[in-house]
This record gives sequence, structure tokens and C-alpha cells, in this order.
Amino acid sequence: MSSDAIAIRLDRVSKQYRAGRSRTIVDVVASAVDRARGRDETVYSAARGRVDATVSALRDVSFDVAEGSGLGIIGANGAGKTTLLKLISRVTWPTSGRVLVAGRVVSLIELGAGFHPELTGRENVYLGAGLFGLTRREVDRRFDDIVQFAEVERLIDMPMKRYSSGLYARLGFSVAVFSNPDIVLVDEVLAVGDASFRRRALESLRRLIAEGKTVLFISHDMWNVRRLCDRIVWMDEGRVRASGAAAEIAEQYMEQVNLRALANQQNVLQSHRGGTGEVRYTDVEIVDRSGRPTAIVPDGGPLTIRASYDASVPIAAPVFQAAIVDVDTGLVVSTATSSRIDVPPIVEGRGVVECIFEPLLLRRRQYVVRMTIADAQRLVSYDVVNAGPRFAVARGAGSAEVACSDHGDEDGFVALPFRFEHRARVLSS
Amino acid sequence: MTATTAAARTLTDHAAPIEPAAYVELLMNITRREVKGRYSQSLFGIGWAIAQPLAMMAVFTLVFARLANILSDVPYPIFAYAGLVPWFFFLNSVTSGTMSLVQYRNIVTKTYFPREIIPLAQVCSRLLDLAAAATLVALLMAYYRIGLTRWALLVPALFVLLIAFTSAVTLLTSAVNVFYRDVSPVVQIGLQLWLYVTPIAYPLSKVPPQFRGWIAANPLTGVIEGLRSAVVYGREPDWPLLTLSAVLTMTALAGSFVVFKQLDRYFADVI
Repeated sequence: MSSDAIAIRLDRVSKQYRAGRSRTIVDVVASAVDRARGRDETVYSAARGRVDATVSALRDVSFDVAEGSGLGIIGANGAGKTTLLKLISRVTWPTSGRVLVAGRVVSLIELGAGFHPELTGRENVYLGAGLFGLTRREVDRRFDDIVQFAEVERLIDMPMKRYSSGLYARLGFSVAVFSNPDIVLVDEVLAVGDASFRRRALESLRRLIAEGKTVLFISHDMWNVRRLCDRIVWMDEGRVRASGAAAEIAEQYMEQVNLRALANQQNVLQSHRGGTGEVRYTDVEIVDRSGRPTAIVPDGGPLTIRASYDASVPIAAPVFQAAIVDVDTGLVVSTATSSRIDVPPIVEGRGVVECIFEPLLLRRRQYVVRMTIADAQRLVSYDVVNAGPRFAVARGAGSAEVACSDHGDEDGFVALPFRFEHRARVLSS
Repeated sequence: MTATTAAARTLTDHAAPIEPAAYVELLMNITRREVKGRYSQSLFGIGWAIAQPLAMMAVFTLVFARLANILSDVPYPIFAYAGLVPWFFFLNSVTSGTMSLVQYRNIVTKTYFPREIIPLAQVCSRLLDLAAAATLVALLMAYYRIGLTRWALLVPALFVLLIAFTSAVTLLTSAVNVFYRDVSPVVQIGLQLWLYVTPIAYPLSKVPPQFRGWIAANPLTGVIEGLRSAVVYGREPDWPLLTLSAVLTMTALAGSFVVFKQLDRYFADVI
């Protein structure tokens, strides 16, 4: 049911928080004395190192959300995304401006926030749904669906302190989705469950939208945002930086994020490092055509992974391996050098290997490079770089719309050229 | 789409109201959560609810009854215990209620619901203790061979008054405690003094006349004196005193609810 009706309207909304430590009785008395003497209270406090400043979480934010639509809210940490959800759910109130909402709101700022570990899963379902405003009879009717969706049938009469954190989150999500809300606010909570639950959670949110409910979705995963939402609001330091069609805003955002990531890309190799160490990578980077480091690779390629290494002892026939990994789902492709063709029979000291993908048949997503060096029999790993540089495949300069429409409907990684052909069925007479 | 859902979906700038049934059930669920949390992994469990007034009764009996011969009409232990049962209900409710919103900050900052349910659930959760402690009154009465009169029928109404006044204080202290954690120690000290300005160890009749008015202005005075005359003495309560207590209690409850609702919208920001 999609109509012109507005589900949420933010009208010049600002929100300020008091920063720093709270006032003690000394501060209260001191500022009262200041006021009585007619001095400027704030300046005087600042001079004493007691800045009682406020922080603006949101500044003059206005937007409408249509009923029965999905809106993605993206932006860096501290951009004001969660504050937005808290205002819409009435957890907190704006300093100025108006927040108008039509219908019952369920917020998933933290899954299972209302649960108590000493209570059983069953009791917590009633408690949690009660916090969303449901009566016991309404929960009775939905109970089986809730439990089934969360897949906790076996544990439902056990205290929730025996649940794993994943199960906890699953039951929390399930209670919220089945509590018949008009508006659902989701704050990055799908990062917890396993892949299969995440998929089902996303599907259930899509179903809600299809049923005419409104979903606000905060996520850093552009892929999920694009699949769920047709519009995106990009928040930046408390302001709306851009808003519009999901594909367009997501693309703008990724470009900016990738540029920023590139600037911060130091010492990425140090985390998740393994291997015996006779030979080690000293540097792994993605470079563009002119050999400069980059984090954005145009679709179609080329993708050049340049890895410098240092072998402290002579190594016979090492195998250099490069792999492209999707952060969420795992390996996309792995490659390895051949000792007969690519690398000399014995390697010692410093050297550089480059792995070039051209054409690069990858869809526009973010990937991570994983690098290893193994011995010829692949029994020993000399070096394992699990968290190599990140890169994003983005729309290249002259890249045609070969295998990627902008609806965000395509799943998977491989950008194989395709086309559809359609013919009306001809009845032979 | 039916007319009712259409009406529910107009844009408003206040929170959607919650059904009365859902409200009561949520209160009961949070109460249950509170009770379970308190007595799980406790050996003596609800027994503590009896031990607390019983221990104080012993102290009072040793100190007051021996030092100053306060009473002659009923045995001092049951006199003191009958006053201590409602007192500890009040004390424990206010003490845990004051901290309740801060303790539930995880829910308060993450989802909207009528927040007064949290301190009220603390009061409700102490009803179980009250009931347990009150059963011992019956046993003591049997032991001292004191019979009930028709005035015992007043007990439910007096309990309502006790619960109302306890809720009034708890709502106020819990809300202010969100902003200033000083409230909790202030409440602790205040309650210690309050015990002595309430006629629990002594009857109101033994208070020097010049202070009696002040003691009567304490809403708990009317309730506790009323309970004692209804159960232990089996006689008509002091109606003017009880009326004063009822008026003060209802005023306090209304006032503290209004204050709570005013402060409510800032809770998540400062908690």
C-alpha cells in the first residue's frame, strides 16, 4: 500500500546535549554568584576550565518519509543517525523543531534491550512485546511466529542468561518485527546475527515495507541499504548532507568513505597477521594505472595489487597468493603465482610482486585483499596477511552500464555481461 | 483500511498512547522481572521480607519498651511489628525505586514507553514482601490472643493509601535522581530520620502535644496509626487524622506524577 501519506515528518529539528561533566553544587553556586555579580558566566567558567558547552547532535534537520517506504540513514559515526531514531521513537525530545509521527513506532536501537537474563525466553517475549505496547493476548496470537522466526523453540523455557548473544539478538528482532508496528526503526542491529539470520531479517523488513509499513534503516552496509531502501538521507555532523534516490546517494557516500579510508590506511597489515616469517610482505597496496596508491577501482579494471616482500633467508619456489574477499560472505576469488612462470626458483632479499586483474569482472562493492606466501607444497605459510588493503569497485570514468543496473537488485560479486531478451509468445496457427 | 487505523495514522508530535490493558500488563511484567531478579539465587528468599521488620521489632522491644514504659494496653512486640510492616514496605520501595530509572537506563535510552511504570513496578514488587510480612501479624495476634473486629475491614483501604503515598515519593525521588545522583544518599538519610518522626516505636498519643501537629502532617502517621487501631486495637480509627493523611497523600501523588511527566522527556539525555 503505497500512497502519498507521510509517516514521519521532521521540521527544522535541532538537538543539543550538554557536554562534559555534569554540574556539581559548587558549579551551581559559582555560576549563581557570577550571575549576581553580573559577569559573563560561560566565559568565566571557561577560564576555570569548566566549559559547560553544549554539543549539537542535530542541526536544522528536515525531511519527510512516505508511508510504506524504506529510508536509509547513512553517515559516519557521530553524524546524528541514532539521535534521529531516538527523536522519532520519543526516547528523547528535540531542543527545537518538531518531530511528527503517524502510528506506532518500534525502535530497534539495541536488540533485546528490555530483556532480563533471569527470565525465560517465553517471559521475555511478553516483557519485550509489552514494552512495544502489546497486550498479552496480542502476544499470545503471535507467539509461535516470534519463536519460529528466531529459531529458539528448544530454548524458549530456559533463562535467557543461557542464550548466546546471537540468539538473544534474534529473539529481540523477532519480537519487534511481529509486534505489528506502523514504523520500524532499525539501528545497525543486523551486524550481530549470522549470515542466514541477517538475510531473513532483511527479508522480513522488506516484507513490512511491502505491507505498507515504514522502515528507517541505519547501516554502514551500502549493499543492504540499497536493497531495502529506495531513498537515503546522508547525515554529516548533524546536518543532512544529501538526500535522494538510494543508488545515487550510496554511490556518492562510498566514494567519500573510500577516499577517507585511503587517507587512514596505515599499518593495515599488522592486524590478523600469521605465518612462520622466513619471508614477509612489507607492504601491500592497490595502485592505479600510474602506480599511485588508491582505494577506488573503476569497474572493468584494471585492479593492481602490488606487494613488496623481504626474504631473510633464501626461499625455494615460494608461492605468492592474492585473494579478494568480501567482508560479509567470504572469499570471492583467490590466485597464486606459478613457480615456473612468475617467480624465480629461489627468492632472497627484497622484491615486488604484482597481481593484475583485467578486465575486473567485479560488481560495485567493497572488498578486502588477503595475501599469503606459502612454500611450493603449500604446507607451510611463511606469511598470512588476512586484513590487507580495502578497495571499492566504483563507477569508472568511461564505464558503460554493462552488467549493473542501478536498482540494487543484483546480488553476488561477478559482473558478467548479460542481457535479457523478451518476446511476446507468438501463437502459431 | 478501516477508519480506526486511519485515525491512528495521523501525524502527531506526541507519543502514541498505550492501551490500558497493555499498560497494566507491562507493569506486572516488569514487577515480575524485578521479583525474579531479587529472589533468584537467594537461599532465604522471601524470608528476608519477614526478617527485616522482625529484627527491628526485637531492637525496639529491647530499647523502647524497657526504657520508657510506653504501653500498657497491648503487648509491645505486636504494637511495634504492626507499625514496622508498612514502614519497611515504604522504606524498601523508596530505596530501590529511587535508583530504578538509572538501573533501567538501558531500556529508558533505547525504547519509548510510559516511564513511570519502572518506579511503580518497584513499589508493586514490594507488595509481595508486604504480604509475607503481614502474615506474621496474624500469627502474632494469635499468639497474644488478640481477636479481630469489624474495623479490620478497613485494612485494604489503608493499604491503598500506603501504596499511593509510597508511589508518590518513589516517582519523585526516581525522577530527580536521574538528574542528580545526590538524591539517593539524601533519601537514605531522610528515611533514617523519617522512621523516628513516624509513630512506629511509639503511639502518637505519647507525643508531646506541641509536636503532635507536626507528626500528624506526615501522611504515614495516619496510615500507620490507622492500621494499628484497625488490626491490633480493633477500634475505630482517628478519622480526622486519617482524612488529613488521605488528602495529603492524594495531593502528593498528583503533584509528583505531574513533575515526573515534566521531567520524563529529558531522562534519556542526562541519565
